[in-house]
Amino acid sequence: MTGDDHGAAAERTRLAWRRTALSAGVVGLLAARPAFHPDAGVPQWITAALSGLGWSFLVAIAYRRARALMKSPPHPGRRTIAAYALTTVALAALASLVVML
Amino acid sequence: MTKSACCGCTFSTEKVNNSYVLGGLRQWIDPEKTPTVGRTPDYRFSLANERTFLAWIRTGLALIAGGLGVAQFLPPLPIAHLREIMAILLLVLGGLVALRAVDHWARTERAMRLGQELPGSRFPAVLAVAVALGAVAMIVAVVVQAAG
Repeated sequence: MTGDDHGAAAERTRLAWRRTALSAGVVGLLAARPAFHPDAGVPQWITAALSGLGWSFLVAIAYRRARALMKSPPHPGRRTIAAYALTTVALAALASLVVML
Repeated sequence: MTKSACCGCTFSTEKVNNSYVLGGLRQWIDPEKTPTVGRTPDYRFSLANERTFLAWIRTGLALIAGGLGVAQFLPPLPIAHLREIMAILLLVLGGLVALRAVDHWARTERAMRLGQELPGSRFPAVLAVAVALGAVAMIVAVVVQAAG
């Protein structure tokens, strides 16, 4: 059933997680950007802190999953996936807040 | 038994109730346990499904970054709040893409366990049309500005 692909599938998946974490970095930085404006106040600092938190969470999950994929044979992802998607949705909501502030 | 597709989930219409909705959410978190069905597929298929999910998440993240970029780098537009509305539309689209990504991943995982046909989806087509409409609107805006 599990053919020997010399870990290529797991490697591709690890790289996909890394790419995704890097993409999340762009969102995290853009969402934190208003906090560096000279007129920035407490709301901007709070949203920047929250976006930094969300980004760290996404990077941490991706790192953890990438490590789990080193095992052979790798287990399919489960909770990680839902957590990743829901954190992304939360970042979208936070970004809407940043836009409306 | 009539089958209908709503939110991309296939179910018998007689069973539309809260327990179905909760079951759907449980399936997101743990598609292997609820329901305990089928057999574990070749891990390479599961990983391919995971990569597809990640590609969709990146699409969603790109839309979110686009929304933030519109709000932060576009000059104020002649119509009041148009810039903010465009930004929010992109952000909502990004959030929808992420939600749909996890739903599609869970349904695909379940279908593979049951040895069923993989779920189809109109979502890519809908997203493509939405992006194309946005591009047309931008072209019109640029042409109008250049002419005026």
